[in-house]
Amino acid sequence: MNLLLGSLTIGLILGVLALGVYISFRIFNFADITVDGSITLGAAVAAVLLLRGWPPVLATLAAALAGGVAGAVTGILHAKFRIHGLLSGILVMTALYSVNLRIMGRSNVPLLSVTTLAERAETLGLACSGGRAAVWVWGWEVPVRDLMFLAFSVAGVALIAGLLYLFLNTRLGTAMRATGDNPQMICAQGVDTGLMIILGLGLSNALVAFSGAVLAQYQGFADVQMGIGMVVWGLASVIMGESLVRARRPGFMIVGAIFGAVLFRLLVAIALRFGMNPNDLKLITALFVFAALVLPGVADRVFKRAGGRAHA
Amino acid sequence: MLDVRDLRKTFFPDTPNEVRALQGVSCQILEGSFVVVIGTNGSGKSTLLNAVAGTFPLDAGAITLAGQDVTGWSEHRRAALIGRVFQNPFSGTAPGMTIAENLAMAARRGHRPGLGWALPRRLRDAFADRVRSLRMGLEDRLDNEIGTLSGGQRQALTLLMATWRKPALLLLDEHTAALDPKSAEQVIALTHQLVTHDHLTTLMVTHAMSQAVNLGDSLIMMHRGRIIHALAGEDKRRVRAEDLLARFDEVRRMDQLDAGAASLLAANYM
Repeated sequence: MNLLLGSLTIGLILGVLALGVYISFRIFNFADITVDGSITLGAAVAAVLLLRGWPPVLATLAAALAGGVAGAVTGILHAKFRIHGLLSGILVMTALYSVNLRIMGRSNVPLLSVTTLAERAETLGLACSGGRAAVWVWGWEVPVRDLMFLAFSVAGVALIAGLLYLFLNTRLGTAMRATGDNPQMICAQGVDTGLMIILGLGLSNALVAFSGAVLAQYQGFADVQMGIGMVVWGLASVIMGESLVRARRPGFMIVGAIFGAVLFRLLVAIALRFGMNPNDLKLITALFVFAALVLPGVADRVFKRAGGRAHA
Repeated sequence: MLDVRDLRKTFFPDTPNEVRALQGVSCQILEGSFVVVIGTNGSGKSTLLNAVAGTFPLDAGAITLAGQDVTGWSEHRRAALIGRVFQNPFSGTAPGMTIAENLAMAARRGHRPGLGWALPRRLRDAFADRVRSLRMGLEDRLDNEIGTLSGGQRQALTLLMATWRKPALLLLDEHTAALDPKSAEQVIALTHQLVTHDHLTTLMVTHAMSQAVNLGDSLIMMHRGRIIHALAGEDKRRVRAEDLLARFDEVRRMDQLDAGAASLLAANYM
C-alpha cells in the first residue's frame, strides 16, 4: 500500500512534468531537452529558497518562474538566433548544469530540517486525523503525511490541468497551438510565431520546474543529477497517455498525459518490486519510448501490406 | 492602395543556382481594383506576391500599402493589412484545429493574441452563418478538425478567413491550381462574390487563361522578373484568351531569338 501511495504521488508530480513535455513535444513539435536541466533548476531554486526560510508555496512558484526563464532562453536561441531546436535545448540544458550547481552551492541539498510542502501537508493531515500519525485505509496502515501529500498532489494537478485547459482555449493558447500545427497559417493571421515559441517553451519549462520543486520537497532533497533522462520520462508519459485516450484534442491530451505519467510510474514501481535492477531503469524507459514511437508505424505498414494483398 | 516601386530580388546570388526573380518591378493598384497577374513559369509572379506579403527581405525597392511604407515590416506585421490564400490548400489552415478555431484566429487577424476566450458564443453563431453561405454543409461541422476536409473545402474556408476582416489587400496565389475542376470553379465563384461584395483590392496570380480573361479589371503579364505587358479598363475587358496566348508565343520567340543570337556570337567570337 505504501508503495502504491508513493508511486501515485510521484506519478502525479511527474504528471505536471508530462504536461510540460506535452506542450513542447506535441503542441510545438519541439523535442525540448531543456527539461533535463529545468526540472533540476526547479528543485534547486525551491531548495535554496526553503533553506532561506521562504514559505513553501512561494518557493515553489519562484522555482516555476526560474524554469520559465530557462525555457524562454531555449525559445530565444531557436526563434531569434535560428539555432536548431534540439541544439538550443542541449545548450541550455548543459548551461543549466553549472547554473544549478551555482544555485545549490554543492551537488546535493537535503531539506530535512526545513518546512516544505510535505510538512505543511503533514500538519494539515494531523489536524484532520485528530493527531494520529497513521490511519487505516482498506486494512492497511498508512502514514497521514503520505496520504495528505497524495491528496495535495491530486488537487494541485487537477488545478494545473484545468488552468492549462482553459489557457489553451484562450486566444493566446489557440495561437500557440496553431504555431505548432501550421506556422505559415498563423503568421498570415498576424501572429509572431517566434514569440509564440518563446512563450510556449517558457510555459512548458515552468511546469517542468514546478514539478521538480515539488518532487524535491516530497523526497526531501534536491540533487544536481535528478534531471537526467527526465525528458524521456516525460515523452513516455505523453505517448502512453495518447494511447490511453486516443484523441488529439487538448482536453484529452492533458488528461492522457497525467494518467500516462501515473501509469508509467506504477509500472516502473511494479517492475522494481519484482527485482528489476534500478540501474536498468533509464535503458528500459528509452526502449519503451523507442517502441512507442516506432511500433504504430510498423503496425500501419504491416496492416497496409495485408490490406493490399487482400485487394489484389 | 498598393504602390510597388522597383522591386529587386535575386535568390542564391553569386552561385550557379542564381535566380533573378524580380528585376525592377513597379506597379500601382488602385483601391478597389482587382488585378490579375499571369506569366510564364519562373517569371516571378509568385515572387512578386510573396514580396508584397513580406515572406523574404528585398534586395531593393519599396512597398507602400494603405498609405504606409511597409518595406521594413515583418511578414506577421503586414498580415494586419493583408489577407492571403496560398496555392497549397493545406497552407492556409491549421489541420489539427477545428473549423471554428481556425475562423476565430482569422477574425482576430492583426491583433495581438491575448488571454480572452478564443471562441465566444456570438462569434460561433457568426461563423455558422457565414459558413452556411458556402453551401458546403460545413456549418454543422464547426467542431471538426480542418484536416478532415477536402482541398476545395479548405480553400473556400481559407478565402473566408482571409476576407473575414476586410483586408487592405487580398493576395491570391494560384489558389485554385491544386484543386479539381469542380472545386476550382466553386472557389473562383466564391472569390468573385467576396471581392465584388466588399470591393476588395485584390492581386491574383493565376495560370488559367479563362480566369485571367474573366476575372479582374486589369491584368499584368510578367516574364523573367519584369512586367512586360499591362492591360486595364476597356483593353482588359476586350482581351481574349487567344490574345494572351499569342503574346506568350511572341515572348517565347523573342527568347529563342536571343538564345540563337547568343550561340551565334559564341560560335563566331569564342
